[in-house]
Amino acid sequence: MLTVDTLSRAELVARLAGDGLELRTGAFVTRLQTRIPSVADGISLLYADYPLGEYTGFADFHLRMFRPAGWRRWYRPQVQLQSDGNAPFTPLPLAHAFPMFEWGLNWCVASRAHNHLIIHAAVVEKEGRAAILPAPPGSGKSTLCTALVHRGWRLLSDELALIRLDDGHVMPLPRPISLKNASIALMRDYLDSPVFSTPVHDTIKGTVAHLKAPRDSVLRSAEPARPAWIIFPQYAAGAEPELSPLSPARGHMELAQNAFNYSMLGSAGFHAMARVIGMSSCHQFRYSRLDDAVELFRQLQPVQP
Amino acid sequence: MLPEIAEAPVRPLHRWRITPGQRLQRHSWDDTEFVLFNDLSGDTHLLDADAIDVLQLLSVAEADTATLAATLQVDADQADALDELLDELVKQYLIEPAC
Repeated sequence: MLTVDTLSRAELVARLAGDGLELRTGAFVTRLQTRIPSVADGISLLYADYPLGEYTGFADFHLRMFRPAGWRRWYRPQVQLQSDGNAPFTPLPLAHAFPMFEWGLNWCVASRAHNHLIIHAAVVEKEGRAAILPAPPGSGKSTLCTALVHRGWRLLSDELALIRLDDGHVMPLPRPISLKNASIALMRDYLDSPVFSTPVHDTIKGTVAHLKAPRDSVLRSAEPARPAWIIFPQYAAGAEPELSPLSPARGHMELAQNAFNYSMLGSAGFHAMARVIGMSSCHQFRYSRLDDAVELFRQLQPVQP
Repeated sequence: MLPEIAEAPVRPLHRWRITPGQRLQRHSWDDTEFVLFNDLSGDTHLLDADAIDVLQLLSVAEADTATLAATLQVDADQADALDELLDELVKQYLIEPAC
């Protein structure tokens, strides 16, 4: 299967500017059309290991990114994202184009992949067992996820846990990890030779940079994992690591709060959620030091089936 | 002078029933806490075993408070707790007065 890095820069730019680049991320194929150089830069840098689509004429998502016409084209230029011809977001400053692509792709999955229960959560895996880390922004979810996937865990996602409705297993969707503000410098120091996109300042989330996903995780994008732990992380400055049990029923309610389509799926979502809870132990986790968290995760034991 | 209007009784002896049209589905992993899905409202509720017992009885047949108390072996000094539980289930649209 051909990957993005088999294309020369000229071929990549030509596909993006022409009929579109077909990019496979997990189970989804996205056809992306754009002439915006920073998007091509981000794709080239962070998606080098990803398979190209097979150009069968079918893609799950059709994205087009362009500079809107008008006087703003020259004064404070902007970028617009279209998904299947619709514009789900207001235009953003042109400098935000690559983060907008990432957010747009998240939106496509979260708003359409309803054959899965979709939870706003990072997911990491080791020895076939998945730890689901649901959390609101600011909890340190992506930072913790980044540390774990560079210390022996596989990245399934840093943003969207895709739960299969029939068996509760998690489908991988490894994509670049979105890091914000102080986490960017923290991870530059913590990791060996991290590959980051150019930081983009003054976004709605502050300064944002995307970190390239580990190659092994990308290559294993078709391998689902069985949930074993649901851990609600909360970064707290100066806190000693503390893992507190959460009852299954309360874990179910908390997890539902973090789901995108739980209500829409109705009874199917309820039972899928309950299946995940039944396979997992639920915990709240406070931490301040990443090495403490990595060590604690190393000691996790799965519940006996 | 007009006579004073008598206040409504504090604890009317309603008959209770499951709110019509809903199908309640539940899971528990420890038989002490339950998650209950109401397919009519789309809501998921976190309930204890007492609430589940009440819903289980009412899913079989309507019942008044006294019958529920007797069936669930609620002591007289626990009557207020049963009233509060019934009020809570009403607020969650899971049960309603049958008359």
